[in-house]
Amino acid sequence: MQTPLTIPVPVPVPVLRLPWGPDGLSCGFAHDGRRAALKPEVPAVQECPRVQGSGESQEQWAQTALRERYLHSLLTMVRHQVSFTWHEGVHVAAHFGATDLDVANFYVSQLQTPIGVQAEALLRCSDIISYTFKP
Amino acid sequence: MAMRQTPLTCSGHTRPVVDLAFSGITPYGYFLISACKDGKPMLRQGDTGDWIGTFLGHKGAVWGATLNNDATKAATAAADFTAKVWDAVSGDELMTLAHKHIVKTVDFTQDSNYLLTGGQDKLLRIYDLNKPEAEPKEISGHTSGIKKALWCSEDKQILSADDKTVRLWDHATMTEVKSLNFNMSVSSMEYIPEGEILVITYGRSIAFHSAVSLDPIKSFEAPATINSASLHPEKEFLVAGGEDFKLYKYDYNSGEELESYKGHFGPIHCVRFSPDGELYASGSEDGTLRLWQTVVGKTYGLWKCVLPEEDSGELAKPKIGFPETTEEELEEIASENSDSIYSSTPEVKA
Repeated sequence: MQTPLTIPVPVPVPVLRLPWGPDGLSCGFAHDGRRAALKPEVPAVQECPRVQGSGESQEQWAQTALRERYLHSLLTMVRHQVSFTWHEGVHVAAHFGATDLDVANFYVSQLQTPIGVQAEALLRCSDIISYTFKP
Repeated sequence: MAMRQTPLTCSGHTRPVVDLAFSGITPYGYFLISACKDGKPMLRQGDTGDWIGTFLGHKGAVWGATLNNDATKAATAAADFTAKVWDAVSGDELMTLAHKHIVKTVDFTQDSNYLLTGGQDKLLRIYDLNKPEAEPKEISGHTSGIKKALWCSEDKQILSADDKTVRLWDHATMTEVKSLNFNMSVSSMEYIPEGEILVITYGRSIAFHSAVSLDPIKSFEAPATINSASLHPEKEFLVAGGEDFKLYKYDYNSGEELESYKGHFGPIHCVRFSPDGELYASGSEDGTLRLWQTVVGKTYGLWKCVLPEEDSGELAKPKIGFPETTEEELEEIASENSDSIYSSTPEVKA
């Protein structure tokens, strides 16, 4: 009879991303030589301390709402056929899989290219001009 | 016991990583500096491994690197016969301290006013950082090159290791208080102020001594030659790494081997716990640093537990209402900002 395991084996935790490496262009360090504090100080020490009009906060709300809509649109795209437009009038279609945290790369499958179907691929978002899909 | 975990691999160095050090915990988090034979020590955010900057200036392999407590200053020891002090916020070089041979080790006092150096010329040097032009105080006595030198007992004493001895010196009188002799080469030394514990590695042994009296406390044997070991801040665990490329985690009280990890592609030269004990960093001949979780399974830094429900990908209603913004206004703002949707971030992926 097997002795039941009393201590569960820890499951490796996935990582959000790899640590950022050197940019290859500079020696780094903050441009103005200051570090961003982890915990923001008292609210009075903000860049725009004066609550000047609802204009700025309205824009912030709108930005937040748009960002959230965009993220939801990405979620909706999962497992759907998406058409991508590239430079020189190139169009390809693929099944959308996922995006990375910075929306720098899209993971797709069954990518239909002029030279054949690629089972899996990473599309560089900075090269995409536009994309459409039907939810 | 072989286990699995996903380490964070920090790339960027092009030669072996021979030393690393964490800062204390600052309002900006904590930081990690790595010394590398490529001559370009790097500063990283301690909990993520993200590169912050590279200290440029040394003309040879950097053998030792350290940060002061609040990570405002860094010091490095190099094969170009100099130690350098840097501004760790801007990356600027503050001081170059000329030596007569390869410098291997540097350490700040708690108040960052003095820098201790040691190297192949067998001399310990104490520099007053407020008087950079003044000659350093020198302590002689070692009969082989100094590998590591550390302040201890609230900077009243100095611990130094050469090939076969560890010596304790009194700062005020600059004289030797006590020494330990070893049959094998001492590979590393770590000082734990809370509890005045000294961690020494030699051969396959990981030994713990009192930093005050140098009396032995306990020691463990590892399966392979160990190059570096570190004691957890709460003294529950210790980690060690060496010539078999593996990292070992032991229970400090019982000596039981708890976990071991493969991952590096070369011998491990240095291992250190972070100041909060949540992770430990290893530097290797393979040119990488890796960050490992102390307790596998926690969400911390870049490690994120993902619960099964979070992966459904179903469309959910947006949670934020649009208090004063109409749809038309949203569209207007959207069209102004449409370029930003397709822009990519400037960081280069590791």
